Amino acid sequence: MADSPEKRGWIGRIWNAIWTPAVMFSSGFLVLAGFLAGILFWGGFHWTLELTNTEEFCTSCHTMETNLGEYRETVHYNNHSGVRAICSDCHVPHEWNHKIKAKIMAVKDVYHELAGTISTPEKYEDHRLSMASAVWKKMKASDSRECRNCHNFDYMDFTIQETRAASEHQRAIDNNMTCIDCHQGIAHSLPPGYLEQYQEVTETLASKASGTLQDQVADSSAEIRSFLTKQAD
Amino acid sequence: MLELLGTIGANIISLPGILGLALGMMTRNLMLGAVIGGVVGVLETLIFAHWSFANIQTIELVIAVVVGFCAGALGSAIRIKGATV
Repeated sequence: MADSPEKRGWIGRIWNAIWTPAVMFSSGFLVLAGFLAGILFWGGFHWTLELTNTEEFCTSCHTMETNLGEYRETVHYNNHSGVRAICSDCHVPHEWNHKIKAKIMAVKDVYHELAGTISTPEKYEDHRLSMASAVWKKMKASDSRECRNCHNFDYMDFTIQETRAASEHQRAIDNNMTCIDCHQGIAHSLPPGYLEQYQEVTETLASKASGTLQDQVADSSAEIRSFLTKQAD
Repeated sequence: MLELLGTIGANIISLPGILGLALGMMTRNLMLGAVIGGVVGVLETLIFAHWSFANIQTIELVIAVVVGFCAGALGSAIRIKGATV
């Protein structure tokens, strides 16, 4: 037999209140109140999320000072047109699902800030290659999705680009290359040995992709063999 | 590990979690609610892969379907517990 309401603890009383039909509110009131509460909650959630995309928020941690200094020397910070790309433009995807995943994964940045993993210039340099490598891997795997929010081959006028840039961009299109294949270090200094590391990143990703392809081919060949065996029988 | 948690969290507050829960609340049949949530998981993965199966990673699809499945079943459980109709 269930406990009487008097004997229930506060959790039990709240649980009971949640599942008891509301007799004092009309359905219309509940729907409207729920709708307004939903707007307030979702608006607040999204607004807060956008606040974490600001340059001030990203660079408010001590460990981000080095990145910020390097970025301030680049064309993405200061240029003739005044159009800028801030941290989140390159490091946070625009699409909802990818964005939330990036935000959750950014918890590791808070942990490393607290743990002091890159708190001194020496520690920062020790980790520079591995940090850069992690970003390259993400960008290569996503076909430089965040770069392409602003830069698009379809709208590049090669006739007004420098000859070398135009020819390299044409080569990139022809060879199905992605932005980060050439533009590592576009916003931050490059560590020694970066080319070898980038080569390793591309080979690792390529081997994963070809592994999947080989599996598919193997599956297909097994199906063909089984089909031919049946036909022979 | 962090990538896995990120993918699960992203799906919970994306279509499989929210729409899956809402659609699950439309039925008292737990299995039907779960299946509807799972379908939302498949659709969401396709939407973010720009309708190309080549852009879909198996693990992302599996996580989206599982999250949708759980959210749909939870929605149906809420309907059973919280509504008399």
